[in-house]
Amino acid sequence: MRAEGRLLLPLLASAAALLWAVPFAWMAVASLRPGVPADIASLTPAGPFGFDNFAEAWKSGSFPVWYLNTLFVCGGILAVQLVSATMAGYAFARIAFPGRDFVFAAFLLQLLLIPPLLIVPNLATLASLHLYDTLFGIMMPYFASAFGVFLMRQTFKSLPRDYEEAAMLDGAGVGALIRHVLVPLARPGLVAFAIVSVTAHWNEFLWPLMAVSSPDRQVLTVGMASFASGAEAGSAWGVVAAGTFLVAGPLLVLFLVFQRRFVSSFVFSGFK
Amino acid sequence: MTGITRRTALTGAIAIPAAAAMTRAAKAAPTAIELFFPVPVQGMLANKMKELVDRFNKEHPAIAATAVYTGTYDDTNLKTRAAIKAGRPPALTLMSANFVREYVINGDADPFDPLIEKGGSTPAAFMAQFWPALAPNAVIGGRVYGVPFQNSTPLLYYNPALFKEAGLDPERPPVDWQAWISAAKALTKPGAGRWGVIWPNTYDYCGWITSGLVMSNGGQYFNHDYGGEVFYDAPSTQGALALVDTLVNRLKAMPPGVSDANTCTGALFAGKAAMMVLSTGSLSFIRKNMKLPYKVAFMPKNVRNAAPIGGGSLILPKGNTPARQAAAWTLVNWLTSPEIAGEWSRFTGYFAPRKAAYDLPAMKTYMAQNPDAKVALDQLEYAVPWFDTYNTIAVRKAMEDQVQAILSAKTTPKEAVAAAQKAADALLRPYVEKTALRPLA
Repeated sequence: MRAEGRLLLPLLASAAALLWAVPFAWMAVASLRPGVPADIASLTPAGPFGFDNFAEAWKSGSFPVWYLNTLFVCGGILAVQLVSATMAGYAFARIAFPGRDFVFAAFLLQLLLIPPLLIVPNLATLASLHLYDTLFGIMMPYFASAFGVFLMRQTFKSLPRDYEEAAMLDGAGVGALIRHVLVPLARPGLVAFAIVSVTAHWNEFLWPLMAVSSPDRQVLTVGMASFASGAEAGSAWGVVAAGTFLVAGPLLVLFLVFQRRFVSSFVFSGFK
Repeated sequence: MTGITRRTALTGAIAIPAAAAMTRAAKAAPTAIELFFPVPVQGMLANKMKELVDRFNKEHPAIAATAVYTGTYDDTNLKTRAAIKAGRPPALTLMSANFVREYVINGDADPFDPLIEKGGSTPAAFMAQFWPALAPNAVIGGRVYGVPFQNSTPLLYYNPALFKEAGLDPERPPVDWQAWISAAKALTKPGAGRWGVIWPNTYDYCGWITSGLVMSNGGQYFNHDYGGEVFYDAPSTQGALALVDTLVNRLKAMPPGVSDANTCTGALFAGKAAMMVLSTGSLSFIRKNMKLPYKVAFMPKNVRNAAPIGGGSLILPKGNTPARQAAAWTLVNWLTSPEIAGEWSRFTGYFAPRKAAYDLPAMKTYMAQNPDAKVALDQLEYAVPWFDTYNTIAVRKAMEDQVQAILSAKTTPKEAVAAAQKAADALLRPYVEKTALRPLA
């Protein structure tokens, strides 16, 4: 009975991994086959293989510009979010002020709103601030992340107060306390949040499509769609697969390199 | 003596910077406009559009146009509407031709009439330059709201080698439904995993091809002049759905369930489908990628030859200044000129909406070299308008859901048309009550 149980879990995990890996393998195989082969759906084709699709995908768009813009947007959003989420999270976790629970609940209501609902009001705000069609305009609505604040509040609450009291006895102010005591302790929570934030904004399509028009301010997802979606004709799957690799590649590499660290962050933060 | 008096030197010193400033002003203030465009077919189309607009800018130094790629037709629609609401409308949008009516109903577009008249022409003379079937989707309530740019009709693609194998004459594709059904039956080889015929029935494509079948069956499908009426519960529609039902459920000559366009081209390329109905807008893609020989033919008819128009038109989103509209109008005229319309048509496979494009030598050579493009052009004689109503997408889906139910044998043609009509009527009701059934006081 026990031995079976021990076998079952890895088996289930392997099945789930396989389920995840098949489309991925499919994409990898398709991206390496030039042209539009008749057996495009095959996972184990005979060939020929080549990198033509990658060359064509690269030629189809301005990938260097898209990479830079995407990095700038994701990095900019994250940098501001880390500061705003840490400070707001600390306030909600540690500072007692009247109406705190009400404000926090109102803050969390943000999570219930579906983003497309806010497209028009957000665009109108951007236009009135002269930020329409700027990268800053893409970033701005995300600066105060309800999810980030929630996560940091929970992280701070889980930390024993002893450290803070000790620091305060040594004469640390709130600024020093956050910077030198709480942030280092909360690092796994920040890393977990960073992963969620970067992945979400790297993959986001609709809002950047709405907020920016100039081709030199386009991000990867929007650029990628310019050759991935064809309404009336069939698609050259190989090129689409290669383009998808170019878009998803940096995130994949990042994950492979920092895998161990990410997993431990998620485990620590209790966020799975 | 230096020969230059102090005064002339002074005048010169003032005049030169002033002149320089003036030329700088002329150079630095071109009217900036943007064209939102979706990428409707596969390939390097976005790059081609940018190349065209670059050429336009070079030829028109007073205008700085930017081609903005905006996703699919639906994304483009969403972005254009959001931009209008936010007070930052694009100067021009390439919009699915059957969305134009809704822009007009919602008051989100401006008519081209004043611009046409300023140029010394009349709206009627302007539209006469385009194929007549394009007018109903472009001229709404007597005013020109859309300028056709890239257009298509459905076409029957087939594999002549499979025709020969099945004992059919590859030079004589089926012209009527009876011949179509027998050919589909003869070409189906379940053992080889081969279907007689296939066409996409995903949303949008499904409604388009279904409307084509209804029109080939003598029907109107919808009221071309009024956005509040559809003719779903009609014999011509029921007969068209009976054709689908027969091919899929009785003869098993067409795959059950919903196939998308990629599945269809994939099946044709692999010899897994002998016939396929797909847009003429796919011609270049198929010509480039199909290894086996293929041929094209008209949509088979039952009562009459008919093929619905598809594709995109240029519209003027509401809220632009007269200067931006004038610049947009220059771009419209340039993009739809016979030379550029022809070039875009050869690049994409769409037919050129401007009739004069086909009189140019480059187009004549192209038509002579590509008999498939010639068939697509000849079919235009039988072209009918594209489905457009109030709340177009929802009303279109009312029928598509029923067709998809037939594809999985969940309903009958008779029940399907009644259910579709009921759903469509409910969706159209608010508009009907404001227009045709407006209380007369």
